[in-house]
Amino acid sequence: MIQVEGLTKLYGEFTAVNDLSFSIQPGEVVGLVGPNGAGKTTTLRCLAGIIPPTRGTVRVGGHNIVRDAIAAKKQLAFFTDEPRLFDYLTVWQHLNFVARIYQVADYEKIGATLLEELELANKKESLPGELSRGMKQKLAIACGLLHSPKVIYFDEPLTGLDPLGIRRMKDSILKRARCGAAIIISSHLLHLVEEICSRLLILKNGRKIADGTLAEITRKFSEQPGDTSLEEIFFRATSESSTPLPPPVLPLESK
Amino acid sequence: MIAALFYLQYQSFRNRLVSRFKRLRQPKYLFGAIVGGIYFYFYFFRYLFHQGYAGSGRHAAAVTIPPEYLVLAESLAALALFVIVLLAWIFPHERAALTFTEAEVAFLFPAPVTRRSLIHFKLIRSQLRILFSALLLTFFSRRFGGDVWIHALGWWLILSTLNLHFLGSSFARTLLLDHGISNRLRRLLVFALVISLAAFVWLWAKNTLPAMTSADRADFSSILKYAQQVLTAGPALYLLYPFHLLVRPFFAPDAAAFLSALAPALLLFLLHYIWVVGSDVAFEEASVEASQKLATRIAAVRAGNWQAAGKKQKARHAWFRLAPTGPLPAALLWKNLIGVGQVFSPRLWIVFISIIVVVLAVGLKNVRHDQNFSSLAAILVAVALGYSLLLGPQLLRLDFRHDLPRADILKTFPMRGWQIALGEILAPVTMMIAFQWLMLLIGSGLVLYLSGKQTVLFLAIAAGAAMLLPALDFLLLLIPNAAVLLFPSWIQAGKDSPRGIEATGQRLIFALGQMLALVLALVPAALAFAAVYFPLKLALGPVAPVPFASLAATVVVAVEAGFGVMLLGKLFERFDVTEEPAS
Repeated sequence: MIQVEGLTKLYGEFTAVNDLSFSIQPGEVVGLVGPNGAGKTTTLRCLAGIIPPTRGTVRVGGHNIVRDAIAAKKQLAFFTDEPRLFDYLTVWQHLNFVARIYQVADYEKIGATLLEELELANKKESLPGELSRGMKQKLAIACGLLHSPKVIYFDEPLTGLDPLGIRRMKDSILKRARCGAAIIISSHLLHLVEEICSRLLILKNGRKIADGTLAEITRKFSEQPGDTSLEEIFFRATSESSTPLPPPVLPLESK
Repeated sequence: MIAALFYLQYQSFRNRLVSRFKRLRQPKYLFGAIVGGIYFYFYFFRYLFHQGYAGSGRHAAAVTIPPEYLVLAESLAALALFVIVLLAWIFPHERAALTFTEAEVAFLFPAPVTRRSLIHFKLIRSQLRILFSALLLTFFSRRFGGDVWIHALGWWLILSTLNLHFLGSSFARTLLLDHGISNRLRRLLVFALVISLAAFVWLWAKNTLPAMTSADRADFSSILKYAQQVLTAGPALYLLYPFHLLVRPFFAPDAAAFLSALAPALLLFLLHYIWVVGSDVAFEEASVEASQKLATRIAAVRAGNWQAAGKKQKARHAWFRLAPTGPLPAALLWKNLIGVGQVFSPRLWIVFISIIVVVLAVGLKNVRHDQNFSSLAAILVAVALGYSLLLGPQLLRLDFRHDLPRADILKTFPMRGWQIALGEILAPVTMMIAFQWLMLLIGSGLVLYLSGKQTVLFLAIAAGAAMLLPALDFLLLLIPNAAVLLFPSWIQAGKDSPRGIEATGQRLIFALGQMLALVLALVPAALAFAAVYFPLKLALGPVAPVPFASLAATVVVAVEAGFGVMLLGKLFERFDVTEEPAS
């Protein structure tokens, strides 16, 4: 569903993403992890057609995101970490607008269901300024899911959500994957990635340093059999060989 | 503690200044600074250390206030200050709130800093703004003569004391609220006091001063002399006395007069300072709220959303029903019209049209067959159309200039570049066309009603304009939209938009660039108009060819606009959102 070959993005002399290749099948949930500045957001932006890659190709549902952008974009949804909404459109007007953009003829039925699921049904006439951070996030999600995308990118999807919202978001992601959507989640929350991702892609300095299931990556980076915490593996995979690992955080009383 | 606050203020100012200088290494700021500097020099600086400006476009003798009017000028200034101070006691309704930035609230409020220190910090910070304002006002007032230092110090004293007074009055208002005196009661009391004082002055003037005769109304200087009599004698003088003290240094004709006027003004300033610093009013809670509002407002303004900055937004109805399927640009038109509706609602249009119709119906009730009125109507319509072309693209910015901070979202839409470009500029174009056609309709109706000699000519021109204007509107809006995509960091659309002389210079460069682009785009249309008009004129006379020639010009402009939309679309497709000015 998503095929990336030799994706490279340069900003002048700086290489944000360097020769990245991978593919994702329908139903797969891939966690994109890496330290700050690893190139995660740039990668997602290239995959969504927001910025053009300097080199390489990205195919979404078989369509080249640069040459056949319209067909590719029809199949995808991109959720940014900060919900980007139009200040002067109400919740329902957002759905109406997105429906026209994606030509969703039966948007009223789908939209009502989505708002119900996301607990926004009683906020249909509210402006974004009247919504909490979490509600804005939910509205962005409702807009993104309205056209039933087959490819979904999440950039830090849990930011600003309350515990119930987090639970619902995880369920929603898994539900979409079960329905055949290919999903990429970029997040620093390793427990989220560990919990819902079927595969991991670890980036560092724009390069792919690991790609595989959690078990495969664990085998690659663990030094002893009991060493299976994703946090430990992440530090091991992304730290320089000469850089010591940060000490574990101890409870106050044990210090 | 105050040293730390000084340090914060000094370092912030210094760093801001250094970063301003550093960015001059970039050509866009350097050119902006050069052009802005030239503008400021010719408009303000050259008058600073030279004689005043006579208004004829050349240097001339100093234009200072004649000595016989000096007292009147001082009295009028004192009266103006009195009104400003009075308004500060009547209109504001909020509790005392010192406006801090969110960072200052986060760092200073939880810190062991006394309330008095916070007030001092606020006063120190406001001095930067006051000094800058005093400098600008000196640039302006110096154009009319006088000593530069006297002007600068005079302005500084006035602005600083006013600043302290506003702060003190806000504290006093809060204390009144705390003692159960509501805003309404306070306003009533202030109104009662003002009316009593005004009545007292009026009665005194009526009983003491000779009544205004026709000689007093003979010319402007007689009126001024009479006004001077009223303002400089009796209770008015005593009432305005503190304000006289404050403005007197500014009007001092020389250094000696300035120094003698300085002491009482400084004393007034000092008394205000003691009043403000001695007030013990809880302002923290209201300040936190004010700082959040300020942050929201700044973010909105810097994102180009002046409407959101001005007032709380309300949900608006769409101007038309948007079906879920159909042409894609209509979606952006629909969206942006809702945004435009925050200012120009359909209700506003109905009120506007109703007022015009009623005014015309009443005003022209007994006027028929009048060539003068007919010509006047035609001129007014032409002026309205001219202003719509000039100001429309600047005022109606619900296009790329507004949506650029959301360019990443627009880029995820399955739309071609030209579709997005067309959709983005359709809303302001629609608004401009609606206004212009309305003006043409009203003008045509009026001209027909008045039946002047030039009726046919006006109608021919109106028909031509009705054809040409929509294409012209497209063209006019394409230019700033292309500019914002070509030079995103030059246009003040994002959160980190530049300010200062270099930003003024950038705006001037763009205004000139836009003008030049428009002139170049109109040359082929003018040629097309001439190519059709002059041959037809030989056969049909001067009036009949106007619509045909206008049609030819319209076709040319429309083709240009069509190419422009395609080009704008390409520009948007190539636009790199990582270079956009907003996050």
